[in-house]
Amino acid sequence: MSDHDAPDPIDKAYTQAEAMLDDEAARAARRARVLGAVAGDVQAAPSVSAPPRRRVSWAAGGWLAAASVAGVSVLVALQFTRAPLMREPPARAETSIVADQAPAPTPVTTPAADKSPPAPPAAPQQWKSPPADVAVAPPLAFPASPGKAASETVTAPAPPPPAAPQAPNAGNVQALIITPPPTEARAESARAESPTAQAAAPASLAVQTARLHAAAAAGRLAELTSLLAQGTPVDAPDSEGETALMKAVQANRPAAADFLVRHGANLDRANRAGVSARDMAISINDPQLNRALGLEP
Amino acid sequence: MEDDDAVDDADLLRAHGAGDQHAFARLYDRYDRACFHLIRRLLGGAHADAAEDLHQETWIAVSRNAAGFDPARASFAAWLFTIARHKTFDHFRRQRVTVLATAPEEAATMTPDPQPSPLEQVQSRQGAEEIVAAVEALPIEQRGVFVMFSEGELSLEEIAQVTGVAFETAKSRLRYARARLRQSLAGERPTHV
Repeated sequence: MSDHDAPDPIDKAYTQAEAMLDDEAARAARRARVLGAVAGDVQAAPSVSAPPRRRVSWAAGGWLAAASVAGVSVLVALQFTRAPLMREPPARAETSIVADQAPAPTPVTTPAADKSPPAPPAAPQQWKSPPADVAVAPPLAFPASPGKAASETVTAPAPPPPAAPQAPNAGNVQALIITPPPTEARAESARAESPTAQAAAPASLAVQTARLHAAAAAGRLAELTSLLAQGTPVDAPDSEGETALMKAVQANRPAAADFLVRHGANLDRANRAGVSARDMAISINDPQLNRALGLEP
Repeated sequence: MEDDDAVDDADLLRAHGAGDQHAFARLYDRYDRACFHLIRRLLGGAHADAAEDLHQETWIAVSRNAAGFDPARASFAAWLFTIARHKTFDHFRRQRVTVLATAPEEAATMTPDPQPSPLEQVQSRQGAEEIVAAVEALPIEQRGVFVMFSEGELSLEEIAQVTGVAFETAKSRLRYARARLRQSLAGERPTHV
C-alpha cells in the first residue's frame, strides 16, 4: 500500500463533516421511502408471471377450455384461409397483387415455367463448397467464369425462378415472371436456405462486429459506413460488452466517435465493468473528443 | 458500515433475491450514507434536489439486478457506486448538463501543505460545511474518487474499476483532490491556471 492508499487526515475530516451535517430525521425518512419502493417493486415483479396459479387453473380443467378455444380458432382460421383459395386458387398472398396489376390475357410462357424444373442447381452448388461467411464464390464452383465475383457467377447459369415448380397456373407464373427476384436476392435466399449458411449467420455477425470495432479503433470512416450499411448494429458489443463507440473513444478517434454517435451509438451504454463511453471520454479528457461526443460545446 | 460484518454483502443480496425482506434493509443500512453522499457530492449544489430520487433509483436498480451481481468481479460497494455514478451521469445527460472534465494535471503545480489544516479536525458545523463545500468545488472526477475512497472505503483498484480508468489515474486524482482540499481549506487558491 502506497502512501496515497493510506487514510489521510483530510479524509477523516470529510467523513466527520458529513456525519455532522447528516440530518437523522431526513435519513430515516429516506430509508423508509427507499425500502418501501424496493419492497413494492419486488412485490410487483412476481405477479407478472405467477406460474403456480396457472398450474392451478390447468388442474381445475382450464386446459379443456383452452383446448376448446384453440380448436375453434383453428376452425375459424381455416374458414378464412380456405375460402379465398377456393375462389382464386392460383393467387397467393404475395403474388395476388402483382397478378391484379397485370391482368394481360396473354400468358407468358417460358420454357422454365412449362418444364417446371426442380430446384435451381446453381445456388446450392455455390453454397455447399465455400465457408459460409465467405461471399466470394470459389473458382471450382463455376469453372466457366473463375474470375468473377459471387453475385456475377450466380447469374451466369440463368436458373429458372425458384417458385415456378409450385405454380400450376399461368396467372401465377406470370406474376412470378413479372417480378423476378434480383440476383442478389436470389443468392441471399439460397444462402438463407442453406443449413451451412444458417449456422454461420451468428458467426458472420460476430465477424462484422469485430470489423466494426477495428474500424472504429482505427478511425476508418469508409469501413464504418460500409459495415453499418450492411446492417451491422452500431451498438453491437464484444465479449466484454464494449461497443464500437467505446473503441473509438479509447483510441481517441474523435471523427469515428462523432460518426458513430450521429448513427445512433449509445453514449451511455455500459460495458460489463459498468463503464460507458461517456465515462471513458471524461477520463481521457480530450477536448476534441469531448466536442465530438457533445460533452463540450 | 454500521451493521454487523458477520454476513457478507453478497450473501445479503442473495437472501434478498430469495425473498428475505430484512436482508436488503441490512445491506441498505451498511451503504446508505456513503451512497447518498456520493450522489449528493457528485450532483453538487445546483442539482441537490435530485439526490433523493437518484438514491432511490440506485437502490431499486440494485434490487432488480441482484441476480446479476457477481462477487468474483467486484465488491458490492464497487458495484453499488458504479450504479450510483451512472444514475448521476444519466441525470446530467437528461438535464443536458455538460460535465466539465478535470484540467489536465492541474495539480502538478500544487504541493501538499505539510502542516495539517485546522479544518481537518471538524470543530463546528461551519467548519463541516466548509469542508463539504470544498469537496463539492473539486473537479467531478476528483470529487468522486475522494468520496469513494474516504467515505465509501473503496480501494484505489476498485475506484479505477468503477470509473473505468487506470489505477495510476485514480491514484493521481486522489492525490490532487487531497492537495486541492488542503489548499482550499487553508484559504489558498490553487496555483494552476
